[in-house]
Amino acid sequence: MSGFLGVLGIEKRWPDTTVGPITLDIARGEIVALLGPSGSGKTTMLRLLAGFETPDAGCIVVEGEDVTSMPPARRRFGMVFQHYALFPHLDVGENVAFGLREHADAARKAGEALRLVDLAGFERRKVQELSGGQQQRVALARALAPEPRVLLLDEPLSNLDPALRERTRRELRHLIQRVGITTVFVTHEQDEAFDLGDRIAVLNAGRLEQVGAPDELYERPASLFVATFVGRANVFRGPAARALGKGSGAGQGDAVVVVRPERLRFADAGLAGTVRERRYTGAAAFFLIESDTGERLEVLAEPDAASVGDRVFVQADRVIRFAENGR
Amino acid sequence: MTNRNAQIAGIGIALLLGWLVLFPILVVAREAADGAALRAFFGRSGEWAALWASVWISLASVGLAAAIGVPLAFLFEWFDFPGRKTLGSLIALPVVLPPLVGVIAFLFLYGESGFIARAVQALFGLPEAPWRLQGPAAILLVHAYSMYVYFYLFTRAGLAKLDVSMLEAAQALGAGRWATIRRVVLPLVRPSLVGAAILTFMTSLGSFSAPYVFGGGFRVMTTQIVATKLNGDLPLAMVETLALAIVAVAGLLVLRRTEGDDILVALGKGIAPRPRPIRRAGIRALATAAGWGFAVLLLLPHLTLALVSLVPYGAWTTQILPPVLSLENYRRLFSEAERLRPLLNSLWMAAASTAAAVVLALAAGWLVVRRRVALRRAIEGLLALPWALPGTVFAIALAMTFSVHAPPLRWVLVGTVAILPLAYLVRALPLTGRALLAGYRQLDPALEEAAASLGAGRWRTLVRVTLPQLRPGLAAGASLAFVAALGDIVASIVLYTYETRPISIEILSSLRLSETGVAAAFGVVLMVVSALVLGIGARR
Repeated sequence: MSGFLGVLGIEKRWPDTTVGPITLDIARGEIVALLGPSGSGKTTMLRLLAGFETPDAGCIVVEGEDVTSMPPARRRFGMVFQHYALFPHLDVGENVAFGLREHADAARKAGEALRLVDLAGFERRKVQELSGGQQQRVALARALAPEPRVLLLDEPLSNLDPALRERTRRELRHLIQRVGITTVFVTHEQDEAFDLGDRIAVLNAGRLEQVGAPDELYERPASLFVATFVGRANVFRGPAARALGKGSGAGQGDAVVVVRPERLRFADAGLAGTVRERRYTGAAAFFLIESDTGERLEVLAEPDAASVGDRVFVQADRVIRFAENGR
Repeated sequence: MTNRNAQIAGIGIALLLGWLVLFPILVVAREAADGAALRAFFGRSGEWAALWASVWISLASVGLAAAIGVPLAFLFEWFDFPGRKTLGSLIALPVVLPPLVGVIAFLFLYGESGFIARAVQALFGLPEAPWRLQGPAAILLVHAYSMYVYFYLFTRAGLAKLDVSMLEAAQALGAGRWATIRRVVLPLVRPSLVGAAILTFMTSLGSFSAPYVFGGGFRVMTTQIVATKLNGDLPLAMVETLALAIVAVAGLLVLRRTEGDDILVALGKGIAPRPRPIRRAGIRALATAAGWGFAVLLLLPHLTLALVSLVPYGAWTTQILPPVLSLENYRRLFSEAERLRPLLNSLWMAAASTAAAVVLALAAGWLVVRRRVALRRAIEGLLALPWALPGTVFAIALAMTFSVHAPPLRWVLVGTVAILPLAYLVRALPLTGRALLAGYRQLDPALEEAAASLGAGRWRTLVRVTLPQLRPGLAAGASLAFVAALGDIVASIVLYTYETRPISIEILSSLRLSETGVAAAFGVVLMVVSALVLGIGARR
């Protein structure tokens, strides 16, 4: 294992489900997103990293040091909780200084951490008085103040209203890059994972489906689950799969074919169908087509490419193929 | 009801409550302004000793109750071990023992002729009982037993509200287990701890049975007041009563200051930590054994009471365990009219006072929360006032106020059947009042509006919508009030007449006649009824 943070065959068994075994190798300064639907085990993974859960198998290594059985208090992993978990009996400054007990200049360091998140001078404010976005930044400052080896974020933006989310996401990315800290965060939103993560680990039903950069996941998904969970996808089986798969050459007898809406286009021949709906988004429009054989598919095209009720033929520029088991 | 009528009703209820709970205290204050009595009070060292004893016994009770209740709460809320569920419910058992019943159970169990003393005496062949259950130590023992429950229940409730991510955040920031408890958990459950401390302090300050039975020469203010009153030195009794009231209010104010804001509600929507299984076998066995041992210790008074109640009069002399057991005492209790009477008296007086307290609290809750009448603060304060003062204070105040004929405010009620229910009512008001005010505040007004928009009149809305919604709080408050009235001793001892004597008085006179079996049988009946009523009240 060459990376900074290594997860080796880690496994956690609950009475009804099992998470893992999962192996991940994270480089120093890398930002990794754990992406998956609820119940996929992404939060369990984060809690295993933080030390709040003990694995039943496997180990976690940081800078060559095995921390698997080290209690969270000694791991030096900073964590930002989903609801921030700010201590309501302490003010902002005391919250941020909580992890700095041994430092003689705790107050100065807390001040620096607050300046980092643009909250300089907020030391004596009560945490209840802050807005959601400010609370999130205090939580971040508190996690960063003790200069942890790894930063863990649990759904960092889920508690903010949508209008604030995009801006906060950008700020968060800049901040993490400026600090240069190795970061793992959990999310169930693809946008968030793509925007923040250098690499994304997609989990499903306790298993690691694929790890890779955003474009890799999008263009070369390792499984049908990844293909459909990451980005919009048309899934074809049977005759329709054969009809569309033919266009781009290789791969005879592939059972499942996935095509992104923007990789489908209207043509003079191909899969025949009728336009049932048109959803206009400004730069383009989504067309919902019902094929003569009964499949429903989504095509992204110029807004005036077709109108509802038109007879159309659809061809694929590029398809992703899977065997019957989705792999 | 128009706003004008609501305001008038508000004034009416404020006046009624003022007459019930404030006016008697003012009467005491006026009577206490007596030069000779004040000189006597300030001059006698016995008075100061009793006052000081009340204070230090109460503070020590708080300390002891916390030392037992808080660790137990942590053990039961955070750790899992065999029998945790069963033990967790057993541990609240002292609650069903009314104060006087608990005291006589301790007397039969740990007293100089109780089971334990006899066993020790027989074991070592001692010529006489190895100890006497008397003085401050005996009082503190009873207080610790009956009041640790407050700390246990309050702390558990506080811990259950705790967000698990708070603890994890502290750990992720490098705090170990003890540092987390000290720096995060205790500050967060402080409101619960202070709440329990206030309740323990107030209960202890007003405690009468334990000092009355075990005090001997050691007087606290409550027993001192009753003794002075029975000696007929009324002015001095008034000064003493006022002194106790002042100490109570001062104590309440000091404790309140340490309470802080209820900050827990402000943040965090997380879930409480799950109880963790204790992994190490040795420690688990130890926790289990300690838990069960403690449960047996808690149950001993109840068992003792049941056993003694089965011993016929005169059948038990020097043996360690009683030689004969029968239901004779119960038969006499239920078949002899003179024995049955106290039981019936207590039941109807408790029921009547509780019903009146519920009706008053319902009206007050509606006027304060829904109609927001001008006098709402006064009404709320008056409802809570009896809680801030020991029962002895009200007993003496009512005895003083209602032994003089001076209409319209003062009537001769002492000696009539009305006085005890009235005294119980005063004590019940804070219990039902608090429950119903809280209930009304949690009740969404839209529910009542919805009922009205569906054509329901005011009466139908009250019966079909409001009361069912208020039921849990109402049942809890009413059952506490009923049980308190049923087991009351302090108001009863000052105000009873032979005709209206309640159970507690009958228990005391049975004890005086050495009819321990009958006293215990009364105690068992009181305990069973209290447990049933509290059980019904706690149902959701």
